[in-house]
Amino acid sequence: MATPILVVDDSVMSRKLVIKALPPEWDVEITQAGNGQEALDSYRSGKAHVMFLDLTMPVMDGYEVLETLKREGLNAFVIVISADVQPKAQERVKELGAIAFLKKPVKTEEVKQVLREYGILT
Amino acid sequence: MKLQSLTADQTDTLQEIVNIAMGQAGDSLARVLDCFVNLSVPRIKLIEVAQISTHMAKLVKSDMPITAVRQSFYDDLSGEAITLFSTDGYHDLSELMGYQNDLDPNTEKEVLFDVSNILVGACLNGIAEQLNANLSFSAPSLIAENTTASALLTPESLPWDYALQVEVNFSLEKRNFMSHLIIMMAEDAVDSLKRSLDAFLEAV
Repeated sequence: MATPILVVDDSVMSRKLVIKALPPEWDVEITQAGNGQEALDSYRSGKAHVMFLDLTMPVMDGYEVLETLKREGLNAFVIVISADVQPKAQERVKELGAIAFLKKPVKTEEVKQVLREYGILT
Repeated sequence: MKLQSLTADQTDTLQEIVNIAMGQAGDSLARVLDCFVNLSVPRIKLIEVAQISTHMAKLVKSDMPITAVRQSFYDDLSGEAITLFSTDGYHDLSELMGYQNDLDPNTEKEVLFDVSNILVGACLNGIAEQLNANLSFSAPSLIAENTTASALLTPESLPWDYALQVEVNFSLEKRNFMSHLIIMMAEDAVDSLKRSLDAFLEAV
């Protein structure tokens, strides 16, 4: 069965780049969200077993999404994909429950490695 | 001749490219200051140089005193990069850079030039790298001290009718310091920028 995944970024281009970097052999059903609020809506309707999350976004940013998920009992694998590459940003998202922090532009090999590490992709 | 604006796809691509570049700039600044840097979403628009004061005034609160450093860039992309500093946040900056007392005007200038070099260098190199473009920079120069944003640039100070304005903001957590980096892309450079963006888009 296809894994429901959610790609969250305010930039359409950036979402395309993320989707293009997904391992081709991974059977997924992709939903996209343009900000944190949309992301939470999709997450709550069960569309995010794995979430690829940008940090800098209008309306609601990635940190707020992570905080909300943590408060409500996180039930998704969140992989942060960000242009903000400060070590402190990486620390913060890990503390908030993200399983990985990948730098933009993201590479297929890096995505694969994380998915394998967590047994999402075998 | 009126300049053709960027298409929605080109704007989105440029925004994402700037986003990645400013992330690198923020990271460089964070390492130098040992402090977390908050980044904004980059804003991009085509402006008429005749309206430059109005555009600049919209960037920062009108009554806020600012100091500005300017660096030109040229080669495949050309234009002016202007780094605005809030004057009242400036003390935070010199403190974070390890200076303890009030600085003499020369050292003060050096600190501003250092930060400008970090932001402009990382940001523009980041953009150029992603677009496979070559870029060179002039040395920074102080163009204004303790002035308001609207008084910063006059239409005469930029030799074009139109410019593509890219704006990113950096601020420090728990500190007053904030900085705006404004990149004005020359109108002649916009066409080659569009071609580079199209090439990037095609590769996706």
